[in-house]
Order: sequence, then C-alpha cells, then structure tokens
Amino acid sequence: MIKKMLQAVGERGFSLVESLVALVLMLVVTGAVFGLLNPSSMASRTQPEAIDVQQRARVGIDAIQRDLLAAGAGLGSGPAVGPLVNYHAPVVPRRMGLQSADAYNLARADAITIQRAAGSYVQTTVRDPMAPGALDLTVNEPPNCPSRNGVCGLSQDMTILVFDPISNFDSFVIRQVQAQTVSLLSRQRSPSAGYAPGAYVAEAEFDTYWHDPAMRQLRHYDGYQTDVPVVDNVVALGFEYFGDPDPPTRPKPPLGTANCLYDAAGNAISGLSQLPPQGGSLAPLSLSTLSDGPWCGAGDNRFDADLLRIRRVRVTIRIQATQAGHRGTGADYVNPGFAKSSQLAVPDYLAVFDVAPRNLNLGR
Amino acid sequence: MVMRPTTRRRSGDTGFTLIEVLVALVVLSLTASGIAVLFVMSIRDSRAARDQTTAMVMAVERMEQLWALTWGIDAATGVPLSDVTTELGRSPPDGSGNGLVPSPPGSLETNTPGYVDYLDGRGRWMGTGATPPAGATYIRRWHIEPLPADPDTLVLRVLVTTVVRDASPLAAGQRRTRRADEALLVTVKTRKAG
Repeated sequence: MIKKMLQAVGERGFSLVESLVALVLMLVVTGAVFGLLNPSSMASRTQPEAIDVQQRARVGIDAIQRDLLAAGAGLGSGPAVGPLVNYHAPVVPRRMGLQSADAYNLARADAITIQRAAGSYVQTTVRDPMAPGALDLTVNEPPNCPSRNGVCGLSQDMTILVFDPISNFDSFVIRQVQAQTVSLLSRQRSPSAGYAPGAYVAEAEFDTYWHDPAMRQLRHYDGYQTDVPVVDNVVALGFEYFGDPDPPTRPKPPLGTANCLYDAAGNAISGLSQLPPQGGSLAPLSLSTLSDGPWCGAGDNRFDADLLRIRRVRVTIRIQATQAGHRGTGADYVNPGFAKSSQLAVPDYLAVFDVAPRNLNLGR
Repeated sequence: MVMRPTTRRRSGDTGFTLIEVLVALVVLSLTASGIAVLFVMSIRDSRAARDQTTAMVMAVERMEQLWALTWGIDAATGVPLSDVTTELGRSPPDGSGNGLVPSPPGSLETNTPGYVDYLDGRGRWMGTGATPPAGATYIRRWHIEPLPADPDTLVLRVLVTTVVRDASPLAAGQRRTRRADEALLVTVKTRKAG
C-alpha cells in the first residue's frame, strides 16, 4: 500500500533531483536577471537627470549667447548710424530698469544688461525739445518710417530708446499715441536726461540676465515688468569683460558741448589710460575698472566710460542636478548631495564660453 | 488497485516540461538582454551628446576670441590694424603668438604651435605645444587663411577633436571635415573702417 502511494506520488509530482535542478536553474536565472536589472535601474534613474542637466545648460548658454551677440546692434535704417556703442554703452554689468535696479556705480559679476535697437524701421529723431523728466514726445518722419501716421510708426506698448551723441539715453514704453504726440511711461524710476531736437529715437530691446542665488535660477528681466526664470538649478553665473586697451574715442559730442570724453572745444579729457593687453588686442577689465568713473550719461543711467571699451565677454554658468539624491560630494558639486553610488551621481556641468558681440567689434 | 500511467500524461498537460521551461528562460533572458542593450545605448548617446556640447562650447569660445582680435582700419590714418602677437593657445593669452597671421597649411590636421591648445574632459585649459600633455582629452586647432582674391578677408576655422579620435589618421589626401564627436566652425572676418 505504501509502495503504491509512493509510486503514485512519484508519478504525480517531481523527483527530488528534478526539483533541485529546477531550483538551481531558477536561482541562476533570477540572479542573472537581477544582476542586469540593478545597474540598469540605476541608469534609468540617473539618465533623465544627466540629460536634464545638459539640456538646461544648452538653454542657458543659448539664451545668453544670442542676446549678447546682438548687443548694440540694430541701428542703421534711420538717422542714427553705426553701432549703439558709438553713443553709449550697450553692455552694462548691472541690473537696469524699473524694478530693483542697481545703482549706477555698482558693477557686479552676476548680472548683465544688454541693449539693442530692435532692428525695425521705427528709427527717427526728436522734433520738439524734451525737458528732463518730460513724458511727451514728438518726432520727425524721415523716409525710413514704416508708416505715415505722424509719429513714424510708433505705437502703443512699443519699447523705445531715446539717446543723443552726448551719451545720454532713456528707455520708455509708449502709453498712447494721440495725433502727433506720443505719451510715454518711463521704464525706470524717472528719466535721466532731457533731449534736444535731433536726439535719436529707436524701437529697442533690453535684456538683463542675472543670478538669483536663493532660488538658484538664471533669470531674464526685460527692464520693465517681466522678470522670469530661464533655467533652474543654476549654482553659479559670472561675467568677465575684456576690452580695448586704448581709451574710447566715442561718443564724440558736437563742438560746443562737453561729455565724459571731450570738452566743449573737442579735446579729449577722460583721463583714461592705456591698459596692459593680454597679447596684441584685448585687456581684461576688472569690475573696479568698470565702476570707478569717469561717468558718462546722466542720472540713473550714468555709466563708467570704460564700459565703452568692452569687446568680449566671458560667461561662466554652472548647472547642478535637481535632486540631491543625484549629487555626490567633492569639488564636482557646489551643493553636495547624498547619491548612494557613483552611478547615481550627476556632476555639476560647468560651461565657460566667450562672446564677441559683433557690433562692439566693428572697425577693429 | 494500480494507478494507470495515464496520470503522468495528465500531469504533463497541466504543468511544464523542463524543455518548455528552458525555452521560456532563454526567451526571457534574450528579451532582458535586449532591454539592457537599450540602456547601454541611452547612456552612450547621452554622454556623446554631452561631449558634443562641450566640444562645441570650446570651439565657439576660440572662434569668439579670434573674432575679437584686432583686424580693422585706423579711422584717423587709414592704416590697417592687425593683431599679429596674441597667443590664444595660452590661458590667459599673452603676446608670444601669431594673432591673426595666416596659419601654415595643415594647422587643422596637425598640432601646430601657435594654432593649437589642449583641454581636459571638462573643457579646462591644459597647455599648448606640439604634443598633448598627459591627461588632455580635447585638442583645439584653428586655421587662418586669407581669401585669395582679398587679403583683407580672413577665413577662420576652428576644430575641436579628441585625443582618441585624432589618433586614427586621415586617409592620404583626405580633406579635413567634421567627424563624429568633433566640432568644426567656419566663419569669415573682414576689415572694416570704424
């Protein structure tokens, strides 16, 4: 009876040997599968973070590079010709505009303001004199104007730059156009200067890039009411300046008028010296050189005459992984994290790049 | 009463044979290794993309530095102004180099002092000279050539390649073009009055 039962069991199930073989196979196979899964699961957790860091770096580099390349550009379709740097400094190492503007005599490494004419045909000259602080504008209509509406195509909400050959400039938004009078809103606390007939008017763009260390963001400010993050988890942003060793020769005011570079008789008076170049072309410009005067322009828009030397800007941007679990410790991390293995760690991405704004390098 | 062998058949119907299990395992492991290959590819490609970005940033950096070298006309005298001394291969640059002097032919193909520098894997400058220093990952070379019809117009080329890639030589007579994981930029710079 027992034999019969044993036989029955043997026929229905597996023998010990079969079970052992199956068990060993199972172990080997599951072991192999887990062996594959573990690193690949690490990779699948790390890769999106690594790619994200790179993508944010590209976006940051691209945004700054694009605007910086065009610094001072855009004139030429109207009465004012040549780059903006012939009139005032289009690249300034501080935040300018309506909100939280830096003082004119501050030069900081983590902010830059870039000006350019918008490249449209809305470029003209002031017709009736503008007193300091005035917010009414009348303009002439040279042949380049895109429409004959009495105000050379100026229209509501347009951002404009008013500037003169003495080195004064101001930025406005157009509140409304009534007949031949344009009423303006200042894009800063108050306008810095008055303008004589013949001063230039052009549609313009302002870009401030700055670093918010608390939020760890690269931010873009349009100089008026829009301040938006461009890239998150930026742990460092820096701008260095390189410029002409020779003192600037422009803006040159008309005879009888003095500015920061010339007296009323047209003699150079800036007192700026020759700087020692690195090689044959450019000298590094320290932040103190860029904030020690002599001062051009007026009011809040005063700027150091050395800013007119700038020909090349070096940008340093450092991006970190978003999650602390993907950051390790050591020199590769500004903010150390707690990545449990090197496979999970994504080092900070440090990019250093140079931009030679084309319109600051004409004629050199 | 004796159990009939038919029960064995029934158990075969309800369970799996060893062969079936083995086949299933083989299929499973093939699939798993196929997926693992995808991970490997994804890691490799994202590293390649990062290296490509790094190479491009380094190439742009040199191109912009070349662009900012003096190459103009003195507004007062009309005399051409040219930078013939800046050594961009050093960091910071100094006056021991060639500036915008046209480079010897082949300065994109071989390491020509004055037209080359070396960087590590993070893009940090390591040195210049005829051979890469130990630990260098990237080679950055540039080439300056005036247009035959107009000596005042320069064609500037910047190539960033890796030490590893550069070790595999070009075929005889082959013109330098961009190979995988290299960055090659070309621009034209012309003399203008201020």
